[in-house]
Amino acid sequence: MAVEQPTQPTIGDLIYDKLFHNYVWRSIFRTGYPNTPRNQMLVVATNVFLHLHPTRIHRTHVKITHTYCLGGLTFFMFLGLTVTGILLMFYYVPSVDRAYLDIQNIQTNVQFGQLMRNMHRWMAHAMVILVFLHMLRVFYTGAYKPPREFNWVVGVVLLVLTFLLSFTGYLLPWDQLAFWAITVGTNIAGSAPVLGPKTRFWLLGGFEVGPDALIRFYTLHVIGLPLLAAIFMAVHFWRIRRDGGLARPL
Amino acid sequence: MATVVVARPAARPTPRARDEEVLVWPDLVFVEFISALLFTVLLFLLSYLMNAPLLDEANANVTNDPAKAPWYLLNLQELLLHMNPALAGIVVPTVWLIVLGAFPYFDRSTEGQGRWFADVNSVKNTVFSFMVGWWGTLALILWNSGKVALWLKDWFGFSGGDTLAFLERSAALKDPSVVPWPDWASSIPYLWFNLKILDEGPGAGVTTFQKIDLPTLLVDIGIPAGFMVGFTCLLIFALWKVGWVLTRRDALITLMSGFVGVFLMLTIIGTAFRGPGQDLIWPWDLRTLEGIPGQE
Repeated sequence: MAVEQPTQPTIGDLIYDKLFHNYVWRSIFRTGYPNTPRNQMLVVATNVFLHLHPTRIHRTHVKITHTYCLGGLTFFMFLGLTVTGILLMFYYVPSVDRAYLDIQNIQTNVQFGQLMRNMHRWMAHAMVILVFLHMLRVFYTGAYKPPREFNWVVGVVLLVLTFLLSFTGYLLPWDQLAFWAITVGTNIAGSAPVLGPKTRFWLLGGFEVGPDALIRFYTLHVIGLPLLAAIFMAVHFWRIRRDGGLARPL
Repeated sequence: MATVVVARPAARPTPRARDEEVLVWPDLVFVEFISALLFTVLLFLLSYLMNAPLLDEANANVTNDPAKAPWYLLNLQELLLHMNPALAGIVVPTVWLIVLGAFPYFDRSTEGQGRWFADVNSVKNTVFSFMVGWWGTLALILWNSGKVALWLKDWFGFSGGDTLAFLERSAALKDPSVVPWPDWASSIPYLWFNLKILDEGPGAGVTTFQKIDLPTLLVDIGIPAGFMVGFTCLLIFALWKVGWVLTRRDALITLMSGFVGVFLMLTIIGTAFRGPGQDLIWPWDLRTLEGIPGQE
């Protein structure tokens, strides 16, 4: 019976070894390249971003029609909005004198400025639509049922936060569309019984949409609400894991 | 040639939980990566083809007509046209969000989770409830905007005159010529002093925590609230009678699907069918106006 003889390593093997088994790679990733089941599990378990996932998952959950990736895509929109939002913040000053000119400037003088603004706008709309569809997916697959009751409540809070994030961003271009949309929107808030007028005053920093409203909406849009949303998202994702991953038939 | 006979178990053994699992890397991470990539490409393409709208600089002295909230709030703005602002803008969304959050505490069964439309009647229940919400909302909007009365007049020569003016809009019921309201009805005191809780700001007028205006209360709050709660209960009751709603889960499916129908119809009407003065117009007449996202 022939015994398999060790073969000479090929050039490819040598390059692979140099790339993924060297001291620096190991110091960063701990595991080798994820091409064996062991390394594939280790890479998920030892990476701060990937360890949101378990190392193994029920096979029905990777089927695209199970979730349509709607929750993940909503989170992805949030990340994309953060990136494009930071780029826009480099050029935008939230003052009544400058806001509109800055937007024009972003569109005409800044390299890829128009593209960044467009991306930010359409991603924001996409996030609102995706989060709504995600809610419908969770509802129609009965995924809110025990033990996931509270995560559904957290999801409802995140739905509201998504609307608020989008709404506060709407004023920032300081054009007629923004101004009157926020006037209408805050008038709706102002119609609340008893607390309405105070709420509207608090939102706008005055009785009408002006410089104080702009700075309030800006602050809420770029730091207040994203922070709050990030906290609720952390709870939301953590509880998915704690409650046993995605819902599936018992 | 020898035939090997292998003893087979009579029934297929249930697979172990571990056998049903796949590795997250690559099976799930790959799906996530592809969907993220797809959306990135699609959004780049959309951003390349379509610019974000930017109108003239904000000017408090030049009113946009129609002045519209962002599209996802236009459902509330549409409701505002038909009822008391506090009811439409605050009470309805607040109550709905609380009801929505309470879903899992109402339906505590663990059956049928993790599968699309797992319950027996869920598909027909969803489609039917959606349709009722969708068409019912359209009918109510057309009625309350006077369109139904207009068509009745144009097509059948039917005119209700003053006494049937409520066929044109519910607000006509407030008019003493339509309903003979007694004088005292519009000012029924329920407090012996004028309660002023919070300063409502300049121009807000006298606070009204002292008297009830019954016709206004009835028309702006009573009728719409009655319609919203009554129709919902009626729908669930009717579906229970025909045997489509058997469990709490079924009732929630009816509620949610009806809501989606109503929500979409309100949003679509508010976005595409409301022109200057919030009159109903066709979307192609609206396209020439400013203020529609994506139209420059």
